[in-house]
Amino acid sequence: MVTKMSEAQDAAEADWRVGLSDDELKDLLYMLKLCRYFDERMEALYRQGRLPGAIYSGRGQEGTHVGVAFALRPGDSLFPTHRDLSAQLTKGLDLRRVMANFWGRIDGYTRGRDGNSHAGDWEGNRTFAVISHLPIAYPIACGAALAYKRRSEPKVAMAICGDGATSNGRWHEALNVSAIHRLPVVWVVNNNQFAYSTPNALEFDVPTIAERAAAYGMPGVRVDAQDVLEVYRVAHDAVERARSGEGPTLVESVSLRWRGHAGHDPARYVPKELLDEYMLRKDPVRRFAELLTAHEIVDDEELGRVQERVEREFDEGYEFAQRSPFPVPEDVTKGVFVEDGYWRSDPSREGGTG
Amino acid sequence: MAQVKLDAGAAGHGAEPRGKRTESGEATYLIAIAEALWEEMQRDERVYLLGEDIGAYGGAFKVTEGFIERFGPERVMDTPIAEETIVGMAIGSAMEGFRPVAEFQYADFMTSGFDEIVTAAARYHYRTGVPLPIVLRAPSGGGVRASNFHSTNPEPWFAHAPGLKVICPAFPSDAKGLLKSAVRDDNPCVFLEHKWIYRRIKEIVPDDLDFLVPIGSAKVQREGRDVSIVTYGMMVHWALEAAENLAQQGVSAEVVDLRTITPLDRDTVLRSVEKTSRALVLSESHRFLGVAAEVAAVIAEEGFQHLDAPVMRLAPPSTPVPFSPTLEDAYLPQVADIEAAVRKLSAW
Repeated sequence: MVTKMSEAQDAAEADWRVGLSDDELKDLLYMLKLCRYFDERMEALYRQGRLPGAIYSGRGQEGTHVGVAFALRPGDSLFPTHRDLSAQLTKGLDLRRVMANFWGRIDGYTRGRDGNSHAGDWEGNRTFAVISHLPIAYPIACGAALAYKRRSEPKVAMAICGDGATSNGRWHEALNVSAIHRLPVVWVVNNNQFAYSTPNALEFDVPTIAERAAAYGMPGVRVDAQDVLEVYRVAHDAVERARSGEGPTLVESVSLRWRGHAGHDPARYVPKELLDEYMLRKDPVRRFAELLTAHEIVDDEELGRVQERVEREFDEGYEFAQRSPFPVPEDVTKGVFVEDGYWRSDPSREGGTG
Repeated sequence: MAQVKLDAGAAGHGAEPRGKRTESGEATYLIAIAEALWEEMQRDERVYLLGEDIGAYGGAFKVTEGFIERFGPERVMDTPIAEETIVGMAIGSAMEGFRPVAEFQYADFMTSGFDEIVTAAARYHYRTGVPLPIVLRAPSGGGVRASNFHSTNPEPWFAHAPGLKVICPAFPSDAKGLLKSAVRDDNPCVFLEHKWIYRRIKEIVPDDLDFLVPIGSAKVQREGRDVSIVTYGMMVHWALEAAENLAQQGVSAEVVDLRTITPLDRDTVLRSVEKTSRALVLSESHRFLGVAAEVAAVIAEEGFQHLDAPVMRLAPPSTPVPFSPTLEDAYLPQVADIEAAVRKLSAW
């Protein structure tokens, strides 16, 4: 324990927490642990055959997801992908309704019209409901950002995609247009090193994704996603830069996808040494817990309480989802268009839970 | 009725499109569309235009000529050639309260923005309840020797994407009233303007700033007794010409203009068939699994008891739209083909 610090050490001590208070640091820890636990339990349920549909694990990438979403304010919008549930939860999605969405129930954000992490709550917390085709939300984020700019609102749109989606034409279209109009948008690339089974080396022939930013006329920053505070710092700078009218930033946050593309994929194409390196030595959740412990923000007892809390919330969410009714079959054709009023009224809860 | 005095034909850049009417006060289909956009932009600050070359140039067909001078570059937004992003920006800004009207230079290029249209825009409300008040305007159709990639009739593609309204007007007044309805609609609307009609067809167009034609309603454009020709778009005009010729041959054809593909006005179609007992369904889009196929199926299923003859279809074969005049004419149903089909039906 250091007992006497120089001024430089004082500054370093103040800087490590990147301007966050004790409570904010604890919030970050809670989100990281909640997202990790959620991911692990949902995969277990999927393997037991108790979870219908699909799951897309974001495990190992929580540093990216929680770090970037933590930099947003409530009025800012988030355009995530199927793998970004941790960012959606950080932005404010209700875990119980997310779980109802996974089980196709009426209390899910899509009322059973879509599944798994394909949830969003635009009115509630400005999260876009995920669409599989990537990066389909990148151009849409341009539109939201255009609206903020047109109205001179101090708001920011943030879109996330993986390294895989950077090969798609829309990615380039959206970055280009956002730069032309200096739109208040932050482009996050969760580079987890694999697009399904395809490694970075077969995806692009430049050393980093971040350096592509120069081609569009915006800053590009590459950050180590194993350090959630560093991700937060970079994202916060980009968000506030956008908010102040200075335009878009590309943030490449580098991690490793610990699990397969989806629940069915054992991901044998990921070299074991690489996986071991990340899982055993670079786990962003464990590293952050150790950091907060070393700085005496939390102790083992508090870590235990956080763990109890996330487990309790998961169990409550699970029970909520199981008790939520299925949508009634008669409603299948409703809500295609606005005028039948389906989405403006409470839906039938007569669908049963069997 | 709000009446606005205008100097006919006096328009230049920055002037209202109504000033571009003929001296007798008629508007072409193209000018009627421009009037609708202009009036809706004046009425509602949330309405804005985006697309390629729509600003200083005034659009590929000059529909928005003069708009940028009146409404400025923010509301008449030139974009790069990036159709997915044009549609995506329309979606995102609509989610934040704007009412965008995006222009495609040709309907053919809607394929370059297809994913954002059919995957994102069409399905978003069904999945989330978030309204997307978007209009996607595009010049469609053939008959002008514009070849493969400038002659497409994409309406069946979009009719297969639940959540989109698909509008195909044939007359200036309908184009104006339907476009104003589309701008005020809270659903994504694909508004297909027929380039053959743009400058060929003109008529006196209502001046009422709230003149609206309801989306999803067909119209009988010519009354007849013997055969119903159910069609839309450019083929309405070809059917009317055929009906005129047939009248001189003693055959009375009724022409039903669908005006909207989605939602489809089944009632007007079935009422006409109940009256005539014979139906020719005519479309410029492909025969196979197309608009004509659906309308024919509706008549067969719901109007069978009224029929004195099998339902006939007349529509192009499953090929791309060819260029050479001999080929394009062989591809598109011609007026003579329509007359022959009606005569065959009436003689049944």
